[in-house]
Amino acid sequence: MEKKIRCPKCSKIFTCDGNPGEEIFIKCPNCGTEGKIILEKIETIASKSLVVIENISKKYKDVLAVDNISFNIKQGEVFGYIGPNGAGKTTTIKIMVGLLNQTSGEISINGYQLPKEKEKAHRFIGYMPQQAGFQQWRTANHALTTFGKLSGVESDKLQSRIDEVLNLLGLIKYKNKKITKLSGGTIQKLGIAQALLHNPSLLILDEPLSGLDPDSRYQVKKILKELSKNGTTVFFSSHILSDLQDIATKICIIDWGRVIKIGSLDELKSEFSKEKQIEIILSKKSDKYNEISKISGVKKLIEQSKEKFIVNIEKTSDSDKIIDEIIKTLIEKNCKIRSITPLSPTLDEIYQFYLRKGVMNQ
Amino acid sequence: MSFSLILKDEFKGFYKSKVMIFLWIGLPILAFILHFFLSDAYGTLSTLTAVLVSNIGGLLAAVMLTVNIINEKDTRVYDLFLIRPLKRWHLVVSKFLAVFICVSIACLLAITLGIAVDFFQSSIPIDIIAQNLVDPLIMTFSVIAISSATGILFGVISPSILVGVVLVIFVGNYISSIPSIVPFVFDIKDPVIYVLAIGVIFTIVLMSLGIILFERKEF
Repeated sequence: MEKKIRCPKCSKIFTCDGNPGEEIFIKCPNCGTEGKIILEKIETIASKSLVVIENISKKYKDVLAVDNISFNIKQGEVFGYIGPNGAGKTTTIKIMVGLLNQTSGEISINGYQLPKEKEKAHRFIGYMPQQAGFQQWRTANHALTTFGKLSGVESDKLQSRIDEVLNLLGLIKYKNKKITKLSGGTIQKLGIAQALLHNPSLLILDEPLSGLDPDSRYQVKKILKELSKNGTTVFFSSHILSDLQDIATKICIIDWGRVIKIGSLDELKSEFSKEKQIEIILSKKSDKYNEISKISGVKKLIEQSKEKFIVNIEKTSDSDKIIDEIIKTLIEKNCKIRSITPLSPTLDEIYQFYLRKGVMNQ
Repeated sequence: MSFSLILKDEFKGFYKSKVMIFLWIGLPILAFILHFFLSDAYGTLSTLTAVLVSNIGGLLAAVMLTVNIINEKDTRVYDLFLIRPLKRWHLVVSKFLAVFICVSIACLLAITLGIAVDFFQSSIPIDIIAQNLVDPLIMTFSVIAISSATGILFGVISPSILVGVVLVIFVGNYISSIPSIVPFVFDIKDPVIYVLAIGVIFTIVLMSLGIILFERKEF
């Protein structure tokens, strides 16, 4: 049985063979660390929560920026943290990385309590702030060299790792350029590069896609997906739900410092819509399609034009079965079908729904 | 390891900054220009240079540090350092040492030029010039050390560059001038020891305050 293992020293992920419960000898191909492990234990560690946040609150004088937030993030998850401007996203993130101390509540990263054990926790964290600030006199390479050394990357492997990360983000041509000569988007990507340098188990990114062009957004999303596949836990914030689509395994919506909803995108969608919708377009105008309103499970027929209409069906009903019956009925009535498309709510609609729900519950 | 790395980086950042280039070149030029206007009543050029450069260098060191720290706070530079396993005080102390050493060297260059001019222009023997220079040199280093520590403290506590610079000029300048007024205010036989003691004590107190506040600061 093949298992993925993360080296405790250099965080490199590699595979080994063995059965659960079996004690095997392992050697890290990256740093050469050797040791014996029991595979069953690794599985337990892999499924545990890497981040545990319990009833965290943060008060700035009279303003409650974060109000009793709780959530867990499991290893390998891509956790999307979404909310409007001023919702408390950055405050939560700063508490998670130890830049701010919570007013109340508990937080642990990989078993280390914050803020007490933040220096130990920092070894596992790669963080990119909303505004990545680099000292102006440095070159990109110089900045990454310093951050790499501070994060514990071995000196003999540092330059090759910097090249690897810069290549990954398409920044290699800027390696020896001064920070002052770089554009905002390039600095943003350099911020991601410094977070990836030491192969962290937990990557915390504060709005990593804002300010990037569409191509760069695609590239960064692809990188995050790859990292997640290799076992890295990714936590990232955004105020645009579509940023989280395709990559987030779990989404947490936050507003006014409170968690409004946590779940996968499918879970969020299912709660949003009470009815399923199917869009039907006919090749020719016809008045006979009204027959399909008699099919059991069909709730409503909304005509948009003579050729195009929307069928609302009950959420609990089997949509495949109903679509079969719709096709059958339309063919019987000599209606020529151009297309039948099940409609799903747009991400913006879902987001707005939960935000409104959150405001109502205030 | 992290302290030596950050200290090396801070040196790299400061020694080629625009302000430092002005000090490297400007202070020796100032010392050279001075000798044209110097009358015998003021003593040797090296002594006068020491007094003058310690005030200019001290003020610039304080302003440079305050502006640098506030600027780095504003541009979120510290976020990337503080999420790595390093001690916060490393950042503050390395900045202090880098500026203190760079400004001291620039002042020494200017004073050395003053000694050279004194040696070639006057009949005063070099050992007398050197002897007369010990006191002004100690005063120079004391003023620069206090000014740099003031710069760190005001940089940490000031919310904006404007507030920081105003504090440095109107408060910091008075604090850093204390070692230079001691010999004039008090009739002490050997003031240099007091000047040195004031320099060390004030620097330690101001730096400790700066470090404590930086440790407590939320970014």
